[in-house]
Amino acid sequence: MTRADYKGEEMVIANSVDKIYANNCHALKKVSVTVKRGEVVVIIGPSGSGKSTFLRTLNQLETVTEGEVIIDGIKMYDPSTNINTLRENVGMVFQSFNLFPHLSVKKNVMLAPLKVLKLSKAQVEEEAIKLLTRVGLGEKINVFPSQLSGGQQQRVAIARALAMKPDLMLFDEPTSALDPEMVGEVLEVMKSLAEEGMTMVVVTHEMGFANEVADRVLFMEDGQLLVDDVPDKFFKNPSHPRLKKFLSSIL
Amino acid sequence: MLFAPRYLHPYLGIKMQNKKHNVVWQALFVLTLIIIGFAVYSASQKIDYTWQWNRILPYIIDSSPAETFAENDGQVTINENGTITVDFDNGDPALLIKKADHLFVSDGAFIFAGDKISSVNQKSMGVLLEGLLMTIKLSVISLFFAIIIGLIAALMRISQNPLSRNFSFLYIEIIRGTPLLVQIFIVYFFLGTIFDLDRFTAGITALSVFTGAYIAEIIRSGIQSIPPGQMEAARSLGMNYPTAMTYVILPQAFKRTLPPMAGQLINLIKDSSLVSVISITDLTKAGREVVAGSFATFEVWFTVAALYLVLTSTLSFAIQRIEKRLSNSD
Ligand SMILES: Nc1ncnc2c1ncn2[C@@H]1O[C@H](COP(=O)(O)OP(=O)(O)OP(=O)(O)O)[C@@H](O)[C@H]1O
Ligand SMILES: [Mg+2]
Repeated sequence: MTRADYKGEEMVIANSVDKIYANNCHALKKVSVTVKRGEVVVIIGPSGSGKSTFLRTLNQLETVTEGEVIIDGIKMYDPSTNINTLRENVGMVFQSFNLFPHLSVKKNVMLAPLKVLKLSKAQVEEEAIKLLTRVGLGEKINVFPSQLSGGQQQRVAIARALAMKPDLMLFDEPTSALDPEMVGEVLEVMKSLAEEGMTMVVVTHEMGFANEVADRVLFMEDGQLLVDDVPDKFFKNPSHPRLKKFLSSIL
Repeated sequence: MLFAPRYLHPYLGIKMQNKKHNVVWQALFVLTLIIIGFAVYSASQKIDYTWQWNRILPYIIDSSPAETFAENDGQVTINENGTITVDFDNGDPALLIKKADHLFVSDGAFIFAGDKISSVNQKSMGVLLEGLLMTIKLSVISLFFAIIIGLIAALMRISQNPLSRNFSFLYIEIIRGTPLLVQIFIVYFFLGTIFDLDRFTAGITALSVFTGAYIAEIIRSGIQSIPPGQMEAARSLGMNYPTAMTYVILPQAFKRTLPPMAGQLINLIKDSSLVSVISITDLTKAGREVVAGSFATFEVWFTVAALYLVLTSTLSFAIQRIEKRLSNSD
C-alpha cells in the first residue's frame, strides 16, 4: 500500500509501543496513541518521561523494542516498507534547530527536495523562497544559519521540513532553546500551520500554546502515557493525580 | 609584522599598547637569525671545505650543448641556407642538420664515424630538477589515492557492520604499527614480484596505502566531531545514509579536517623521499647522485632541503587559502 492509496482517518497509530535503550533504560512502556488527520496533539510531562523518545519512534530515529507504528497507513516495521520514503512524509523540528551550517538558508531548504525528491532546481528554488517568505524570512535567503537569531533559525528549520510537503509534522520542544522574546514568532508559525490543517505532534512546555491550539493534550510520566484529554478538561479538571501534581508544580 | 600570530587570544593579554613590544621581539628574532647564520658560516670556514655553489647550477639547469656525432664515415656539405648535409659512404640516407650554433667541421670535409659535427646551445632540466618533478609526481598521485583509500577506510571504520569495521581497524593498526621503509620493501619485493609491479607503481602503492591509514583516522575523527543532530536532521528529511553523508556530514567534516590533513600531506611529501631505496630517482636520490658526481656535498643537501621546503610551504599556503575560503559560513 502506498501513501496515495490511503484515505483513512488515522495519521498516526502507535500500538502498545515499548522502548528499552541499550543501557536498559525503559523509556516507553506500552504507549498507545492515535492521531487523526488534521489533529494537533501536544505532549507534556516532566524531564526524562519519554516524550522525545516517543516522538522519535514516529519517524524511526529510534526503533521500537516492542509494538507497532503505522504512519499514514504505512506499517513502519513491515519488511516491504522503505523507511526513507516514510520519512519524506514526516517532517521533524528539533530543539537545537540542527540547520546545516555549511549551507545558506535557501540551500538548507532546497537540499532534500533536490536530492531526495529529485525535483528540478528552478522548481525547488521557487518553492523554497515561497516557504521562507511565509515564515517571515524572505529577506534572509542567502545568509548562513550562524548569522540568524535562534527564532529565525527555528523558522528556517520549519520551512526546511515543510519543503518535503509532509502530511505529518513532529516538533520536539521547538522553543526550549530560544530566548523568551523569540518564542512567540515560532509559535505563531506553528499556529498558522495548525490552522491550515497540518497534522502535528508537539512536545512543548508552552501551556498557552497547548491550551489554545491543541485538539488533545497527552501527559507522560516515567515512560507511561497517563492522560489523553481535550485541553479544556486536561488543564481545568485534570483526571490523574500525577498530572494534578505536575500542573501545580509548573504553574 | 613578520610572523603575526593567527589568533590573538584576549586572555593572553596581547593588547594594542604591546605593539611596540612586539616590534622589539620581532627585531630580536631577525637578529638571532643573523647571528646563527654567521655562526654557521664561520664554523664552515674552520673546517677544510671549499664552498662551490656554482657547481650546483648545472644539476638544476643543464646548459650543456646538445651535440651531434657522425654515425658513419662520410662527407660534409654546408648548404647556403646554413643547414648541413652529411652524405654517408655506406649509402645510409643523408643526415640533415637544420640548426647549429657551433660547427666542428668545414665544408667538404671527410669525417669518420664518431666525429663531432656540430652542437646546439640549449637549456634542459638538471638532475635535481628532474628529481623534484619525480617527487611532485609521486606526491600528487599518492595523495589522490591516499584520500580515496582514507575516505573508504574511515567510512568502513564508523560503519555498523562489524566485518567492514574490523577490516578497517586491522588495516589502520597494521599500517600505523610498521615503518614505512619496511612497507616499501614488502610492496616492492613481495607484492611487486607477485603482481609484476614496476618501481614507480610500487612506490605509489606503498605511499598511498601508508598515508591512507593516517588520513582515515583524520577523516573518522572529523566525521565524529559533527554533532549527531546533523545526521538526524538529514535522515528525518528522507535522505538515505549515503546522501546524508555526501551533502551534510562530509562537507562539514572536510572543513574541520583541513589543518591535520595539511600536516599529513606535508608528511607525504617528506615520506616520498624513502622510495629512493627502491631506486626511484626522486629529489633525494637525485641529491645522492649529484653528490657522487660533484663532491659538493654540503651545497647539494642544502639545495635539496630548500627544494623540499618550497614544495611543503606552497602546499601549506594553498591549504590555508582553502581554509579561509571555507570559513565564510562561520
Ligand atoms: N540514546 C539514549 N540512550 C540511553 N538512554 C536514553 C537515550 N535517550 C534517552 N534516554 C533515556 O530515556 C529516558 C527518556 O528520555 P527522553 O529524552 O525521551 O525524555 P524527555 O521526556 O524528552 O525529557 P526532556 O524533557 O528532558 O527532553 C530518560 O531516562 C533518558 O535518560
Ligand atoms: Mg526531550
